[in-house]
Amino acid sequence: MDNNILLKVEDIHTFIGQFHILQGVSVEVPKGTIVALLGRNGAGKTTTLKSILGLTPPTRGQVVFDGKQIQGLRSYDIATMGIGFVPEHRAIFRDLSVLENLRIAERQKGDLEKKEDFIFSLFPDLKRLIKLPGTNLSGGQQQMLAVARALVPENKLLLIDEPSEGLAPVIIEQMMEAIRQLSAETTVLLVEQNFTVASQLAQDYIIIEEGHSVKSGVMADLVNDPETIHRYLEAA
Amino acid sequence: MNTLLGSFRKNRNLWITLIALLIVFVLAIRGLTDQEAVGGERYKNVVITILRGFSTGSIIFLVASGFSIIFGLMNVLNMAHGALFMIGAYVGWTVAVRPDTAVDAFTPIALLTGGFMLVPIWDRLLDKREWLSRSAHIWPWLGLILTLVVLVFTLPKYPITSWDVGSYEISPVNFAFAASQGILEVPEAEQFVGISPAIGLGGIILGGILAGITVAGFVINRRPATAGASEAEPFPWNSLIYCLALIALGLLVHFFNTSISNYLLSLDTTWLFILAILVAVLTGAALGILIETTMIRRLYETHFYVLMLTLGVNAIIIEIVRTIWGAPEFTMHRPSIFAGVGDGCPAESFAAMMEYKCATIRVLGGRVRTYNELFIPVLGIVVLIAVWILLQRTRLGMIVRAGVQDSEMVEALGINVQRVFTTVFALGVGLAALGGVIGAPSTGLTTTLGDSLLINMLVALSIGGLTSFPGAAAGGLIVGLLQQFIIKYGQIGINIPFMEEPFKPTPPLVPAMTVLLMVIILLVMPQGLFGRKE
Repeated sequence: MDNNILLKVEDIHTFIGQFHILQGVSVEVPKGTIVALLGRNGAGKTTTLKSILGLTPPTRGQVVFDGKQIQGLRSYDIATMGIGFVPEHRAIFRDLSVLENLRIAERQKGDLEKKEDFIFSLFPDLKRLIKLPGTNLSGGQQQMLAVARALVPENKLLLIDEPSEGLAPVIIEQMMEAIRQLSAETTVLLVEQNFTVASQLAQDYIIIEEGHSVKSGVMADLVNDPETIHRYLEAA
Repeated sequence: MNTLLGSFRKNRNLWITLIALLIVFVLAIRGLTDQEAVGGERYKNVVITILRGFSTGSIIFLVASGFSIIFGLMNVLNMAHGALFMIGAYVGWTVAVRPDTAVDAFTPIALLTGGFMLVPIWDRLLDKREWLSRSAHIWPWLGLILTLVVLVFTLPKYPITSWDVGSYEISPVNFAFAASQGILEVPEAEQFVGISPAIGLGGIILGGILAGITVAGFVINRRPATAGASEAEPFPWNSLIYCLALIALGLLVHFFNTSISNYLLSLDTTWLFILAILVAVLTGAALGILIETTMIRRLYETHFYVLMLTLGVNAIIIEIVRTIWGAPEFTMHRPSIFAGVGDGCPAESFAAMMEYKCATIRVLGGRVRTYNELFIPVLGIVVLIAVWILLQRTRLGMIVRAGVQDSEMVEALGINVQRVFTTVFALGVGLAALGGVIGAPSTGLTTTLGDSLLINMLVALSIGGLTSFPGAAAGGLIVGLLQQFIIKYGQIGINIPFMEEPFKPTPPLVPAMTVLLMVIILLVMPQGLFGRKE
């Protein structure tokens, strides 16, 4: 197996209730890169992330992370192996303060102290808001907190779901800059509806349509391939 | 001032409801004020009624807080909560009145639990064994039958000196009465009959181990084939340590049974009461772990089944209590520091109350019972503060608050949410059992104890807001105060204009008014006073 591949998802199938959501998705994420998971609404991008984490465990196929098979393990074991998750809709804990939102992500006491300089250099706003309850934060601040939370423990891989969703253009710029900086230390698998954002951040792409991964390659090629973009990504 | 006004605008309904409640409260206080008396004595009835309300409210709060945290975190409406409250009362009574029986019962329970502790080890050893998986759907059932045979043969043989529900002389009712008079005589300890002690004890241990293997078998069968979980974790040596420790403890208690019993029987009732609290809370927590891990865990996704399941557990527990302790009602005596009469009692001051250990204290010319009306409310406040600190200041509390909102995300952070669920369930049931044992000396013990409390608790939570911790406290207090005021008015009557006789609310009006208040509050605030608007 290629040592350079951090995450290899091979032909996974996932059911949610009776619905066969993923019907053969394969993903490869090389170390140190940003890979974008593209596709229309409801194609199965979020479910792919959740299947990797075991939140919606795949019934077939395999997931190999850092050389170990992780499908079928419990979610907290998978996360502890070094996968951070930034869910969609800015799912921070609203009743917890900003500091508690960061503390809860600690896997060992003192994780936050080790990483706080880096985190606050990415998101200086959070330092000022540290005592506020999450529910008082603006949408952009909540999204920053959701990303910051995933940075607290030593993660090898971040799964980031729709970081630009519902944010103002200025904030999106800031978020993209932060993701670019953090990708220097961590590998990222990014789900992004906004193609402009995804194309500027990611080196590789994978397109999912109706539960199948249909196309993958280098982002630079996709940008110059209007036909593929039209076929798989533009609103039908 | 601005913030107050802003808060009023934002929570208009809450403020109006609170002010309305306050007005009703003030009117109720005015009605109880004795206009002919002088000085502080005018408020005698008011103070006593409020203290009683705090007492009732504290017990409701103890049970409601656990129930609401469990519901908030796991979406489980634990209908067995009232029955578990009742278990706390009965177990506490047993330790306080018949410690010899509690000591007798400890050994078989410890031996069984000890064997059962090996489940994680069997799980690890037997999982993915070729020769077992071929008969995977048969051998756990065989294990179950074998377990039952061994236990049916040995468990009833274990000598427990208990009581006989059928004969008054040695019934719980009689022991309860004797204990309250201080003339308790416990029967002679029993011995193994018709079976050698070694076989009896060994059989129980074997039964526990077989039960563990059986459970491990069912767990393995349920696990999806793709899972390869267990190899990632270290071998569960600590369950072997727990097993050996429990068995050793059980055997130790068996061999020193008589001296332990005699020592406990010679103790002051206060110490026995403290022991009763500890044992009741631990029993509750252990039952909570058992119910959560073996039953509720499998059904989290299907809320209706959980509801039916816990209702069933409720019925089973009530029947078990009826079988062991009998249906007739009996009492539990108060610990000696709250039971003093005669010399210096009723106490004139707080210091005198401590000195003479009085059962009552004189307040504004009236008598206040120290256990019911002072100790229980104080304990309620202590638990309130303790749980508040647990929720706000500890990592467990932080995880619980986060899990109430989104337990999937908590799991995705690398936290074993399953374990948190079990811990919280054990804590919640432990709190209910605490309420049971604390309330027993004040309410007495009946097998309907749990049901009536469950209703009061649900009403209190609806008033306060189902998943809100301050709501559980406020709701419990409101229900407690309302009920005690109605009971008091039932004694003295309400003067209603144009009616010749004062109106006296009858006892059935107490629950009716409680529910009426809930209906009114829910009409104005469907989420309850402190519930979250979703």
